Amino acid sequence: MTWEIGEEIVKKILEKAPYAEGRVRRERRLEFKIPAERIREFLMIMKENNFPLMLQISAVDWVRDGEIELVYHLMNIELGTHAMVKVRIPRDLDKAKMPTVRDIYPAAETYERDVHDFFGVYFEGNDKMEMPWILDDPERGLYPHRKDFDMLGYVKKKYKILDRFDENKDKYVI
Amino acid sequence: MVTQEELIREARENGMELYPIEKDTYELFFGPQHMATENFSIILKMDGNRVVKAIANPGFLHRGFEKLAEFRPWYTNIALLLRICVPESDVPEAIYSMAVDEIIGWEVPERAQWIRTVVLEMARVSAYLFWIMGLSFKLGVYTAGQWAAAYRERFMRLFEELTGGRVYHIYTIPGGVRRDIPGDKWLRQLKDTVEYIKSKLPDFDNLVFENYITYKRMEGIGVMDKKFALAEGVTGPNLRATGVAYDVRKDDPYLFYPEVDFEVPTLKEGDALARALVRRYELEQDLYILEQLLEMGPPSGPYKVEDPRLKNLPRFKVPAGDAFAHVESTKGDFGAYIVSDGGNKPYRVHVRGPSIAHGIRVLEQLLVGARIADVPVILMSLDNCPPDIDR
Repeated sequence: MTWEIGEEIVKKILEKAPYAEGRVRRERRLEFKIPAERIREFLMIMKENNFPLMLQISAVDWVRDGEIELVYHLMNIELGTHAMVKVRIPRDLDKAKMPTVRDIYPAAETYERDVHDFFGVYFEGNDKMEMPWILDDPERGLYPHRKDFDMLGYVKKKYKILDRFDENKDKYVI
Repeated sequence: MVTQEELIREARENGMELYPIEKDTYELFFGPQHMATENFSIILKMDGNRVVKAIANPGFLHRGFEKLAEFRPWYTNIALLLRICVPESDVPEAIYSMAVDEIIGWEVPERAQWIRTVVLEMARVSAYLFWIMGLSFKLGVYTAGQWAAAYRERFMRLFEELTGGRVYHIYTIPGGVRRDIPGDKWLRQLKDTVEYIKSKLPDFDNLVFENYITYKRMEGIGVMDKKFALAEGVTGPNLRATGVAYDVRKDDPYLFYPEVDFEVPTLKEGDALARALVRRYELEQDLYILEQLLEMGPPSGPYKVEDPRLKNLPRFKVPAGDAFAHVESTKGDFGAYIVSDGGNKPYRVHVRGPSIAHGIRVLEQLLVGARIADVPVILMSLDNCPPDIDR
């Protein structure tokens, strides 16, 4: 299904940002893929093109590819159009770094803190990230939403009562 | 006479650690047990009874729903995710189901869409009544709060008849709804309830919304303007109270909302009173939407998709892909981003709670300069749902 207004918006944005890939997913849904180092530049273009509202920054841990995908959800409130801006960064802790976008979208500060706490992505320039967030101090630095986080091991260590379960059973339903 | 200042100085010199840290400021931990904060905690730095600095302190409800969802089959997740926002538990069900429908490419039958719309509106009305209860308790108008709780009970009873559960319904599922509406009697009861609550709205006006005390307590506190609200990502009634008519039901229509006629109330002031009044007008609009839907009547047809995959739910698989779905809840724009890698469990579920926008940064900024007595009122006027933030 084609959606003409969407095609026009995508065309207009891609003219300014030739490095990006963009498409219309369906009516009122756009998707852009860009290289990680161009994120600030691209979000500024998006903001100029009538996307004033940032809804969320989602992170997806693609452990097989060794990458973390960050999805910036933006909203055009006049056309009711939702745009996803996707970037991929390496998931190694020392390389998982992104520039902060909180001067472009102030709301991003909270979402960046969230992604940092649960995925270990470091946002350079966001000084609030070191402040305590949802996790307690002992859990900080473990990054529980990563796919290779040993959930059962952590639960067993923290709540010793679970030791009564069978050690030989390889699959637990938590 | 020895002044307090001298006493403090003397105590410090003798090696005592004392609050107040500076001359007159002291730290106050507000919540999470305080009944005015509703499971939320704020660290306030006070000067006398004025707030100098506020730091939101979330994390007391953290239950790791998103992580748990990665370990459960697709259908089992509904019973988990709906616990994200208790007063409005149908919304997380709906966004999850809509996102899964989009990944699979299912066309949900019309009857199911109608039922989903009715359920979402019922959830909105009961959530607003719940909010009126909270607000009137904080303002000291306990009578109105008890009325609101009693009227909400009528909706709970209807929900129980429809879904089997009072608070947690587990009703909207990917592909439609779990079971059909009980029959015409239920529809008549719903119609009567809507009419009854509509007839009781003037009582709330007299007691709460047109009350001199409400105006005194709420006018001109916690003011935010349009530009600030948009930059901070505030949505829902809090954004509409600043003059932006953004409503997901109108701007990004879903289910049966394009078929019904309703207004999006906005006010310009952006203070606590404006937010409360916007919610009051919206309650009226929601009842109006319910009336129209009941007038329309449920379309005939099946109430969920007919698919052979639904025969074996634990092995039910969703093709690889991702989708974002959002609906308008009473707190704001509630969304879910769902990623599937083709397995029988979601690869990633990320819920966008509306309160994360106005519950942390906005709250911290609005509280500065407020009196201690205004803190619960501002908190209530923002309609913060702490489980949204902690997820």
